[in-house]
Amino acid sequence: MATTETKDLSEHQRLQLQFQLFQESLPKVNDVVYRMLLKEMLPLAIAVDKSLSDDEKEDENDKTEQEHRAAEEKLANLSIGYKGTPSHVLIKEYADSDEERRLRIRTKMMKMGYQIGNQVSELLIFSNNPNLNFRDMDLLSVMKFICRDVWKQLFGKQIDNLKTNHRGTFYLFDYDLKLLEGMALNEDALEKELSVLEPYLDIPCGILQGVLASLGYENNVSCQATFVDVPESKAGGFRSFPKGVSFNVLVNVNPTAGGEKTVDAGAKGAGAQSFPV
Amino acid sequence: MAIYSFWIFDRHCNCIFDREWTLKAKQSSGVVNSKQNEDTAKLLFGMIFSLKSICRKLGNEDVSNEIRTIATGKYRVHVLTTASGLWLVLLTDVQQKNVSEVLHHLYGEIYVPSVAENWLSPIDFAEKEEEKMGQGFRKIQNRYFLRAVEQYLSPMVSR
Repeated sequence: MATTETKDLSEHQRLQLQFQLFQESLPKVNDVVYRMLLKEMLPLAIAVDKSLSDDEKEDENDKTEQEHRAAEEKLANLSIGYKGTPSHVLIKEYADSDEERRLRIRTKMMKMGYQIGNQVSELLIFSNNPNLNFRDMDLLSVMKFICRDVWKQLFGKQIDNLKTNHRGTFYLFDYDLKLLEGMALNEDALEKELSVLEPYLDIPCGILQGVLASLGYENNVSCQATFVDVPESKAGGFRSFPKGVSFNVLVNVNPTAGGEKTVDAGAKGAGAQSFPV
Repeated sequence: MAIYSFWIFDRHCNCIFDREWTLKAKQSSGVVNSKQNEDTAKLLFGMIFSLKSICRKLGNEDVSNEIRTIATGKYRVHVLTTASGLWLVLLTDVQQKNVSEVLHHLYGEIYVPSVAENWLSPIDFAEKEEEKMGQGFRKIQNRYFLRAVEQYLSPMVSR
């Protein structure tokens, strides 16, 4: 009986079943823990930057003093309990730091996102999803792959809107970025909140670049993220962030003909076409 | 069901949130995180604390015996204590026997996502050593929490 059933299935259905079984066999992690780890990336970047700059300062000091301090630190670390700075204080430090330091931290976030993106596409290729065909993939289908599968894997939802002008400019809209879910300062500090949360947008930016790099668009890719208003129809629950995010991806497909292409730049906005994701 | 006020105490014996409704007819009336309520908070904390320790002494030693409600002639106090030392306290009228679901919702669906999962908000509201002995003054002030508490509890104020 079982053999005839499997014979009835077409090749595609068989692959589908195989993919489903593979997905179910994968080890699962807790969603809350995963989200909290993602959020912890910013305090991590700030703390690393802080300890690096502290090290630089210490080099100028006396050596004996350094040893003395190291011994003291060791003694302090012997006691049980968390000794580090709490995450919200680190984020506050970012808000008060100067432009140069902010840039350093944001670059760090971007690089971490790049690593994630680079590796997540590897993982998705390995999963043998029958709906994905990585052979002869053009830029548009790569972007669609990011919007559907990569986002689904990392944030549990798809990108809400994808727009392109077919010349290498893409706009990706996410009206409920899961990274920002639940983030809020005091009652009337939305402006400050947005400037503090900016580095969190560098993670998806890095992910976008990482995925594009792993699928062959290594150079000439730039990505910028900005906060945008959420349209009425997409407004979420009380936990979702009041602002949506727009990612602007520029891929220079044909770098040699770059000079000629710029003539068409005016058509960028007008020719934009949107795709249902 | 009529709700009179809602309080949260942390493990350092500090009141980190209070909300008191004064007019039954107007749901937005009353005060949030008010300075005037400081002494009331201390009294309320003391009452629950003493009754808690009495309960523990009178209970069977094998099972934990935590206080759930305290009723007086005029009102009833409902308490939810968590393992991390957080107390959620709700004052209602005497008729209301069991609001444990409401307290669980306030903790699991409102406090945890908007304070514990909010990276911009502190999780321990006593930042210095001297604030840890019941002398703290910091309150939960983040936008999500205030809005969510208001949205959830206001309809019950005069029902």
